[in-house]
This record gives sequence, C-alpha cells and structure tokens, in this order.
Amino acid sequence: MKQKLPLLILAVFVVGALAVGLVSTFHGTNEPVETDFFAMDTLMGVQVYSRNADADGYAVQTCIGALEKELSVTIETSEIAQLNRDGHAVLTGDVQALLQRTIALSARTGGALDPTMYSIVRLWGFTTGSYRVPDGDEIAAALETVGTAHITLGENGDTALLGGAQIDFGAVAKGYAAQQSADLLAARGVTAAILSLGGNVQTVGSRPDGNDWVIGIRDPADEAQMIGKLSVSGSAAIVTSGGYQRYFEENGVTYQHIMDPATGAPVKSGLSSVTIVAQDGFLADGLSTALYVMGLDKATAFWRDSDDFEAVLITDDGDAYVTEGLAGRYVCADGFTVVTR
Amino acid sequence: MKTRTWIVLFCLLALALGAATLFLLRDNGDAQTAEIWSDGVLMETVDLDADQSFTISHGADGYNLIVVEDGKIYVSEASCPDKVCIHHGPAAGGAPIVCLPNKLIIKFTGDDDSPDAVTG
Repeated sequence: MKQKLPLLILAVFVVGALAVGLVSTFHGTNEPVETDFFAMDTLMGVQVYSRNADADGYAVQTCIGALEKELSVTIETSEIAQLNRDGHAVLTGDVQALLQRTIALSARTGGALDPTMYSIVRLWGFTTGSYRVPDGDEIAAALETVGTAHITLGENGDTALLGGAQIDFGAVAKGYAAQQSADLLAARGVTAAILSLGGNVQTVGSRPDGNDWVIGIRDPADEAQMIGKLSVSGSAAIVTSGGYQRYFEENGVTYQHIMDPATGAPVKSGLSSVTIVAQDGFLADGLSTALYVMGLDKATAFWRDSDDFEAVLITDDGDAYVTEGLAGRYVCADGFTVVTR
Repeated sequence: MKTRTWIVLFCLLALALGAATLFLLRDNGDAQTAEIWSDGVLMETVDLDADQSFTISHGADGYNLIVVEDGKIYVSEASCPDKVCIHHGPAAGGAPIVCLPNKLIIKFTGDDDSPDAVTG
C-alpha cells in the first residue's frame, strides 16, 4: 500500500483536472459572450452563443456602424441628409429599400407611422435636446410639410421631397438594423443569439438549453421594473414604443417624444407602451410606434385585420391588453385582458 | 488493483465532478451583483448587499456618482445634460442603467430569474 499512495494522489489530481475540464466545456456552450457598444444614440448589446462569439459580435457592430452612416439624418454626408437639405437625392441600397418599405407601412397604418415627421420632431427640440413647446401657428406650418404624399420616388432611386418635407428613420432604423444583424449572424452560422439595440430585442435561433427565450417588458411607470415577461421560441423581433423613452417637462406638463402625425403634438392615446412581436425587426419597430399613436381601440382593430404580428398594449392606468397569440406566453403579476379576433 | 481501490477511485471521481460543478456554477448563486462598465472597460463589480458610493470619471469633466443602498444601485449625480441615468432610479435587475454621454453602463448579474433581454 505504501508504494501505491503517490499513485493514488496522482490519480486524484488527474481525475479532478479532467472533471473541471469536462464540466467547464459543457458549461461554456450554455453561456453567451456579450459585446456592448454605443450606436444610433443608444446602447446596443449582442449576446452570442458560439465558438466565434467575439468575432460574431464585432461583425454586428461593424454592420450597424455602416448602416448608421447611411441612415442618420445628422451625418451630413448621408444620402438622407442630402435629400433633406437639397430636396432631392439619388437613394441607393439600404436607404432606398428602407424608405420604400416605410412609405408602404405608413399607408398600411393609415398614416399613424409617418417618415415625414422630422420637421415636427425638430420643432419640439427632440433632435437637439433644446426642448421647447411651439405655438399653434408654428405647429400648423410644420404640419404642412407632413405626409408621404410629399415624397416622389422616381426611377433608379431618384427621390424628391416637395413643400419642404423632411424625412427621418427614427421609428424604424433600429428595427431594420436589428433584422440586418440577425440575418448576418444566421449567415455566419450562429444558431443562438439575442440582440438588444436600445430596447429593440431580436432573437436568433433557439436557446442552447432548449428553453424559450424570456424577454422582460419594461414597466412604463418605473424604468427599474418589469411589468411582465414574454416567452418567445425561435427567431423573432420584440420591440416596444413608449412615451417614457424620451420626454421633457415644462411648467409641470410632460411632453413625450412620440409625435402624432394628425396633431403635430406629443401623442395622447391613453397608451403608455406598445410591444410588438413579429418575424421582422423593421415591421415590429414601425408597428410599435404606429399602434402607440392609434390608441387601444384602433390598435386592436388593426391587429384583427392583420396576421403578421402580436402585441402587448399597456394603458396609462397600467392595465395590460394581450393579443390572443401571446396569451399563453405572457406572464405578469397583475393579470391581463386577452384581445380576441 | 483491488476492487476496493476502484471503489475509492470512483468515489473520488464523483466527488471531483461534484466539486468542479459547484466551483464553476458558484457565480450564479444568491448574491445579486452589478457590473460598472466605462467606455467598454469593466471598472467594478459591486455586491448590491453592501451599501457604498463611488464616482466613475470619464475624460476631463465627465463623472457619475453611483450609490448602492438597500440592495439597489442608482446614479445620484452626473455631469451629463439629459440625466437619463439618474431618471432610471434605484434598480436591482432588469434593463441596464446607461449614461450615453459618459459611456457608462451598469449591468446586472447573478440573478437566475433575470430574462435574456428587456424590451422598452
């Protein structure tokens, strides 16, 4: 036995090292690598479950950086800034595609989503942070420039803006970027990832442990809390719009950043947030704004006429209305009303 | 080798596997923690059970005063113009607290109930 003792100790160490290796290998595939960066005026996080997670995260960062250069109205060399400044420009690639899709979605939502609201948004100071409440005449003058009828799409991307109309992609750019990023990750062979572009969530594939993705929905009344959680299986876009995301106060009145194309003033629809679940990031982003502008009744009627998204609508009183496709997937403490077809 | 030696080895293997699992999963324990990131660099990992306050600087004039109190963390003072980070209020989980001008992120870790992401 005396000669065997060193051998036994050696065996214990070898077995122990093997065990650590075995467990960490197994454990490692279930933990994502997160890449965080700032772009499009917000925090973006990419969690990738793969062996090349760092490179995958960097690829997304590069992709979004390139898109931002194309889509930003504040970067003077962008085609869209050129269009706003000169009233005409030749649009190419993503800018052209995004404008066409936004005009189509604007028509589908009866103008609740409108890419020509930039003059109004600027008037209220939301582009610069120098907030102010404009008077009725100023709003009426700015509203003259609103409406997709001011945009003419010619051959080969030749685009013109009439009557001083101004365009921005604030309501759809992040969703479009999230979808492009998700497509990029899938093309790179990633089978599990989750992106959060400033609250625009996009899932890619399925969680490695086989469970559903769990997405918290922020409580509109308290940024630090969640009002409920959604379970989502497979690839999807989950996007929320709410007035709390950006606002200012003047003389005790709160003015929020989502503008009603009908009034040229902050939306007062009785909703405090709208979360859309859809297959496409652009669609989810655009519809979250549109349904928020519509208010509960019009939004649920719009959902009944559609078959490509589901929604969670939170009222100003904090009541939750959940479309029936999500009824079994939404969990919250206070109960909710199911919206049926 | 004797049967008894094999049994001892087998028990040791089982013990080692168990210990390794515990060792590698220990960061998912009860303690709720927050990570303070500044411009892409992890500055601090704080235990939310330990009350404290500290300042994270950014460049020449940028700063955020961070307070841990009653199991929650918040930004109480900041050099930025919009104060979005302060408006976030005390939190112990959910979406990260962000200060865009100072490139500050406070992320929550160590909570098994936390969702994969938060929309809003």
